Amino acid sequence: MVTQHGIKLATYLVSTQWGAQNSKVLECLLRRGTLTLAQIVRFTELSRENVRQSLLVLIHQNCIQAFAIQREGGFGEAPKVITEYMPLFDNVIHIMRFPKFIQIVSEELGKECEEIFEGLLQHGRLPLGEIIDRHKQTSTQGNCSTDAVLETFNKLVNARFVERCPAPEPFLEPPAEDETPAKKRGAKTAKVSELPKTIEQRALAAAAPLDSVRFLVEIDNGSDIPEKANEEHPNDGKVGEKRKHGSLKSDGGLMGNHEKKEILWRANFEEFMRRLRHKACIANVRSRLGDDSRIVLSAVLELSRRSETKVKTESTASLSLDDIYDEVIKNEGGLGMNLERIRAALVQLGCEMPMIQIDETYSIDLKNIIDACQNEEVESIVLKRYGREAHRIFRLLSKAGHLLESHKIADATFVDKKDAIKILYKLWKDDYLQMEKVTIGGARQQFFLWKVNKGTLHEHVLDEMYHAALNLRLRIQHEQEQGKEILLVPREKLVGELGKKFKRLRKVRIILESCLMNLDDALMLFHDF
Amino acid sequence: MSHSGEAASLKRKRPGSNPVTQSLPDAERAVLNVITSKENMGIWVRDIKKETNLSDTVVNKSLKSLLGKKLIKEFVNIQNKGRKHYMAMEFEPSKEVTGGAWYVEGNLDKGFINELKELCLRIISLQKVATVETVYDFLEKKKAVKVACTKQQIAEIVNSLVLDNEIIEVKSTGLGEYHSIPIGEQCYRIANVAGVDKGPKIGAMASIPCGMCPRISQCTPDGIISPRTCVYYKKWLDIDF
Repeated sequence: MVTQHGIKLATYLVSTQWGAQNSKVLECLLRRGTLTLAQIVRFTELSRENVRQSLLVLIHQNCIQAFAIQREGGFGEAPKVITEYMPLFDNVIHIMRFPKFIQIVSEELGKECEEIFEGLLQHGRLPLGEIIDRHKQTSTQGNCSTDAVLETFNKLVNARFVERCPAPEPFLEPPAEDETPAKKRGAKTAKVSELPKTIEQRALAAAAPLDSVRFLVEIDNGSDIPEKANEEHPNDGKVGEKRKHGSLKSDGGLMGNHEKKEILWRANFEEFMRRLRHKACIANVRSRLGDDSRIVLSAVLELSRRSETKVKTESTASLSLDDIYDEVIKNEGGLGMNLERIRAALVQLGCEMPMIQIDETYSIDLKNIIDACQNEEVESIVLKRYGREAHRIFRLLSKAGHLLESHKIADATFVDKKDAIKILYKLWKDDYLQMEKVTIGGARQQFFLWKVNKGTLHEHVLDEMYHAALNLRLRIQHEQEQGKEILLVPREKLVGELGKKFKRLRKVRIILESCLMNLDDALMLFHDF
Repeated sequence: MSHSGEAASLKRKRPGSNPVTQSLPDAERAVLNVITSKENMGIWVRDIKKETNLSDTVVNKSLKSLLGKKLIKEFVNIQNKGRKHYMAMEFEPSKEVTGGAWYVEGNLDKGFINELKELCLRIISLQKVATVETVYDFLEKKKAVKVACTKQQIAEIVNSLVLDNEIIEVKSTGLGEYHSIPIGEQCYRIANVAGVDKGPKIGAMASIPCGMCPRISQCTPDGIISPRTCVYYKKWLDIDF
């Protein structure tokens, strides 16, 4: 689901980070889908060298994935293997979330991990050796021996905050006959895995490192290998082979033994999305259902986190009541809970109580909670924009989930019939509702039926949110430009009128940025969760 | 509708057997028959004219005379408040033409509704966990409202409270606070659990100007309407400094 304003925001983010040229290449890819180098050159009207450079930067920053594919040759030519480039929209938008990711790392693993992680975010992807060297040079923290840094890095990998980079350019087998390039753009919208995969999905799947090595740290064989690293060496051969298998364009042949040095690491956005998703669920449950439910949900999420394979997990793994209890009492405020209270909280969270209480297991429907969060967000927009009565009408339709007739709606919401029709019309005009006209026996018998179509509505809301996020960023930039001279004045001279202006500037920035962070939570809610 | 049931207690009379109608002039009888045939739906003056094939003056005269004899009555049809509608005296306007139980003379009785809503909300917060029955019983026992309400009406009020996010629907677990309510029964409780997030939650989008901007579709980075020149932003960021 890449919307127009989503593309604009992504382009803006790239242009502020890495300049206009790179953003032009990215925009071209986002608007037109996967392209070859020659096509990008043609569409952007940049020189081949410039495009190549931009692609390198963007690949390095995880914004583009390249893959090789066999295409039909023209007029009697043999089929040839060409390289195509696909944009990774989500990863571009993640740029905006780096502060959030850093905070998560800092809270969970402490300052030292934060420093390493921050460096990795800045550089996009780095080999282990460079990570260690970089950290040794820049660290402000105490112990900087290779051993210590390695240990810190291991912590990051164990928490799955960091992963191996995908293969730089996986080769895709020629597509089967029934797969036409017409499906190209749907890469991110196709949710059902049974559908034939698009080329982009296949490329991502082919590029992803195998699960067995994704979070496996091998110690390189440079001059300063720590002793204990040797313990892991027996594995090396095997792992190296797997990697070779994964990346056809392996330079391993040239590098020989040094191939392992080429293993690049990057931040694992998926893990952060999962954590933020859990956090959103917990916050929602807390405000909706109270503290007991929150404690139980966070315990269940903690237990089932490792078994989650994708971000949009529908429901948590089935857990026995005993396991949940053991985790609950570890949590803050959970010590006083008994089985009865946990059961009650689980029911509140939408679990069915089993008839026979032997081997009691529970699984919480996360999709349901996310739906509730999304509804809350949309409803609050309706309330703010169209007023209380519209809010009531909207909620009625959203809860009903099917078509309702105007008069029925007015009756159920206690809105005057004429007003109700006006409100319905306004909501429909702004794409919040879907309308259907039914005529029975001549023009006098006309009925209007209304419903909320969540799919299109959410897309519409998401697009407006991208728009709003871009606006917030532009306004921050604008305020900074306006206050440029004040920011240049030395601190001690900021008194009187200047001081006031400086204070205003700071407050405005804080407001805008915190709103942007909140808005970003909502963006993730509709796009990533 | 008025909330009293006095008119409803009037006995419905058998049409045709009434000696009064026998003595009416032909035109009046024809008009009355058409009106009576529509029962509790009533009929619009124009339709009377069409169905009886009588001239305007005759119909108007007959209506006037019938009104004087208290055989028919005028009422407000919610679908068309401006048009004159008539109904035979023995019928009460149906829900479709009055707009239902919450309408008084064609207008939504908002004062009464809000009063009832507040009352129900207070009862639910008192009972902590309530069902439509418990709220209804409470109202009945205390005689809290002057006019009688049906259980259906209370259910409608409770539903609208749910839509207002004042209360939430929960299924009884039969445990703790729910002990008096059978397991699985639909019940209601105050939306904001004590001590947690008072007041309705304002979403991230709704708390910034863009969230409620009527011009967002015309807003572009370098257009006439842009975040740099936006009046809503200016107003928003100028307060409290």
